[in-house]
Amino acid sequence: MKRSYNKISVLIVLLVISISCTEVVEIELDSTYDRLVVFGKVTTDHERHYVELTTTSDYFYNEEPPPVTGATVRIMAGDSLITLEESAVWPGIYQMSAPYTGVQGVTYQLKISNVDIDNDGESEEYSAIARMPFIEKPDSISLERFITPFFSGTQVTLWSPEAMGTNYYNFQLTRNEEMIHNRLSQYTVQPDDFFTDNYIAGLPVGFLDDDNEDEVVVPGDEVTLVISSITEDYYNFIVEAQNEIFGNNPLFSGPPANVSSNIEGDDAVGVFAAYSIERNSKIVPLPAIPQK
Amino acid sequence: MKLKLFIHIILVLVLTAPVLHAQKRITVSGYVRDTTSGEELIGANVAIRETGSGTITNQYGFYSISLEPGFYTLVYSYVGYNAESKPVNFIEDMELDVELSEAANEIEEVTVTAEAANSNVTSLETGATKLQIKSIRKIPAFMGEVDVIKAIQLLPGVQVTSEGSSGFSVRGGSPDQNLILLDEATVYNASHLLGFFSIFNNDAIKDVKLYKGDIPASAGGRLSSLLDVRMKDGNSREFEATGGIGNISSRLTLEGPLFNKKASYLVSGRRTYADVFLPLARDTAIHDNSLYFYDLNGKFNYTLNENNRFYLSAYNGKDVFANDFAGMTFGNRTITARWNHLFSKKLFSNFTFVNSKYNYSLGTPEDAIPRFTWQSDLTDYGFKGDFTYYLMPGHTLKFGASGIYHIIEPGLIITQTGGNDNDTATLAANYALETGIYLSGDSKLGDRLSVRYGIRYSQFDNIGEATVYNYNDHYMVVDSTVYGKGEFFNTYRGFEPRLALNFRINDASSVKMSYSRTIQYMQLASNSSAGTPLDIWFPASPNIMPQLSNQVAGGYFRNFMNNKLETSFELYYKKMDRSIDFADHAQLILNPYLEGEIRTGFATSYGAELFLRYTDNRFSGWLSYTYSRTIRTLAEVNKGVPYPAPYDKPHDLALVGSYDVSKRISVSANWIYSSGLPFTLPTGRYKVQGNIIPLYTGRNQFRLDDYHRLDLAVIIREKDRSNKRWKGEWNFSVYNAYARKNTWTLNFEQDSEDPNRTYAEKTYLFSIIPAITYNFSF
Repeated sequence: MKRSYNKISVLIVLLVISISCTEVVEIELDSTYDRLVVFGKVTTDHERHYVELTTTSDYFYNEEPPPVTGATVRIMAGDSLITLEESAVWPGIYQMSAPYTGVQGVTYQLKISNVDIDNDGESEEYSAIARMPFIEKPDSISLERFITPFFSGTQVTLWSPEAMGTNYYNFQLTRNEEMIHNRLSQYTVQPDDFFTDNYIAGLPVGFLDDDNEDEVVVPGDEVTLVISSITEDYYNFIVEAQNEIFGNNPLFSGPPANVSSNIEGDDAVGVFAAYSIERNSKIVPLPAIPQK
Repeated sequence: MKLKLFIHIILVLVLTAPVLHAQKRITVSGYVRDTTSGEELIGANVAIRETGSGTITNQYGFYSISLEPGFYTLVYSYVGYNAESKPVNFIEDMELDVELSEAANEIEEVTVTAEAANSNVTSLETGATKLQIKSIRKIPAFMGEVDVIKAIQLLPGVQVTSEGSSGFSVRGGSPDQNLILLDEATVYNASHLLGFFSIFNNDAIKDVKLYKGDIPASAGGRLSSLLDVRMKDGNSREFEATGGIGNISSRLTLEGPLFNKKASYLVSGRRTYADVFLPLARDTAIHDNSLYFYDLNGKFNYTLNENNRFYLSAYNGKDVFANDFAGMTFGNRTITARWNHLFSKKLFSNFTFVNSKYNYSLGTPEDAIPRFTWQSDLTDYGFKGDFTYYLMPGHTLKFGASGIYHIIEPGLIITQTGGNDNDTATLAANYALETGIYLSGDSKLGDRLSVRYGIRYSQFDNIGEATVYNYNDHYMVVDSTVYGKGEFFNTYRGFEPRLALNFRINDASSVKMSYSRTIQYMQLASNSSAGTPLDIWFPASPNIMPQLSNQVAGGYFRNFMNNKLETSFELYYKKMDRSIDFADHAQLILNPYLEGEIRTGFATSYGAELFLRYTDNRFSGWLSYTYSRTIRTLAEVNKGVPYPAPYDKPHDLALVGSYDVSKRISVSANWIYSSGLPFTLPTGRYKVQGNIIPLYTGRNQFRLDDYHRLDLAVIIREKDRSNKRWKGEWNFSVYNAYARKNTWTLNFEQDSEDPNRTYAEKTYLFSIIPAITYNFSF
């Protein structure tokens, strides 16, 4: 539904765009104090999950974000404690020492200590909680050509049972096992408002745009839909972050605002997420032979 | 206590005025009309030369004057018309209809008599401005489309909310705080084509008046202003056609008499035709697209006899924007039926039934898979009874009652995915009854002091069937309460006093003051600056208290050069309680828990408004300058720190002028300057999953660039041949003549080549836009 609403928004915005122009402008912005930035995740994939710690910077800093090193990062998985190791290769990345498979229904608690973001000589502590949601195994996906006057591509549609209760999903696509939608701005998220406790039958969940060379698929390619059942906190984080990333216009946007975070402690930003993942794949078929 | 005192003062004024003048009086009443078209003139002056007192015609052109027996001279005048003097011997009650003729030629059309021209000084209203339709026609218009609302936006205290928008902010209020009435029916969205045009077709409009503060007690339901738009009644003398052919639209209005001139009609239509040219586009994909809007106005009135008149008017307009895979329509419909009845020469009454409807629909075609359809409707059924009792010159009483039944159906959503039957989801409808009674009066206390007093008592009832969600302190739904069909489950009520004083220093200058309290029970769920057709209205409820405004205003009014130059300087202060804003990242569309997104607090607005208007035979124009500030304070927005309201523009200047070079050629120009809109800019950033996310430290703490623009127009009239009815004129206009790139919005982008680099990018809407329109009448 949100996708359909967005189509309408796109139509209206296209109308405005047709009579509007843009140009790059020089502008001076104020500065603000540094905050801890956290991005961490635990999923049902069997891998060394990680937490990335950086700090905020001035808006026109134009460098990689400053990493936070020397921190103590732990994750409580139910009753067990997992201590993450700081990567020797990537500063600011804290990884599990061994592959780990997240468990649906388990609550994960992130604890960060031994960091001094405000440089006052005293270390601060941060924490976050995320309960890994349940997910059902999907039945199938289908790939259909979708052509509009403004864009065309391959639409991915999902058939799947749905876990009980309120669920939030993040849909990503891979092409021949290579993740295409790996940036926050490329995620497709959707709550289950309109199919709660129901069967997801033919819901459009992903799109491969012909105009984007990374997304073009040809017959024989394998397209995989990665379905993540995410927490409400993570859903809100993605939606709000996308609002800010995509910019604003006076027609549809409210005032810009900070993206909410589930990280507790000293104005930290970012998100700690625990989510369960299922996948389903399909080979791009040969085009139908026209009937004579 | 203050309210009791106020009511006491009103009762004293009402009850003592007739007692003090309880002598036999003779009443002369009638209508003031335009000679050519027979249209009743609203607000025409009727002055008694011997006493210096007088009255003005009401919204139906009616007046009534009661005097002690004797011989008097009544002087009838109206801006742009030749005044008429009528010697009248007041020996018995009589009817006296008067017709005024427009000034003889175009050059002299703005000639006015002294009696009429100082009405800005003598009237009781502060912050009220009436615009002549003829003046509006001369203002350079965007794409040649003459627009009432775009003209209103050039007045002091009125600010456009966004470039090209039909939304306007009055004295710091939100666009939804303006009550827009078309023949007394509420217009909920006055915009076409995302606001670039308003729904008002100038050819069908007779009268426009904006009340910025001292809203008449007969009107209520909005905090900031009343824009009262009246449609023409139709020419009751002869058939007449007017129209125009322009860049973007054409229009045609037909009007004429019926039933031996006891009735008249008006039919007016306008349609844009951008889509007519789409098949010529190189991109074949858009050949079948629809992109247009239309307006239809109709009016019929019938005079049964001198005591009974009937009016039926209707408006229907729609925007259509669609292609093969998605579409949207939205539009307003209003129907007004009115009965004017004279109970006596002194007691004028009007009974009105109104039906207003605003709806939109959007989605995919019905046979599309997946299919999505979303419909939203807002419907009003209203009834009003208004009475005007003309006690005596200088003393008029108005009273009445009104009721509006609101039906708000925010969303019916039908979805159909590949393997499912239709899924239907309905956002719960809201039903509410808004009622009000009022009493107001104008009294002249001596030669210099006049007072207008009024009180309105309004009530708002939420009616079942309804489900009201209950929220905790974090705005999370904890449970809900279900109310049965027809059940009155929540009531708000309140007194809304109004008071205005005019102390006339002399014929050319006066000092005015006013106080008004207004209550608003319905508001718009919109937190964007331009607004969209998809915004929905929502009512006060157990979770949302009505908004309340108290405003004081005062001004000095002074005319110079025999009233050719009108000046005024007004100050106002307004406090708006329970002012509404929305949570960060509020989801206002299709949200059943919309009330959980609302935050309330208070806002204050203050300002100074300077208005200079010059009118002579060849030149007319005005300068309006406003300095104002509007600050909101909401505990849960911006961490409780006060912040500028979205339409807070401290400096706002408009220069408007037109000059008749000859009888056939007029030139006109506007220059507009205002401070940039408040804007929230990032002060930091962070990176997550490959994307840079901005970090903010305060709402609306910065401003966009200052806005300024010059518009020009030339009107060339065809030679006036007395033997031909056809009259034509060419209107050449240029919008944004020096191609100023005014910032519409500012965005911050992440460089696709260097993902750590960010830059600022501004979007501007219009460069130079020339337009040609041919207007005609016969």
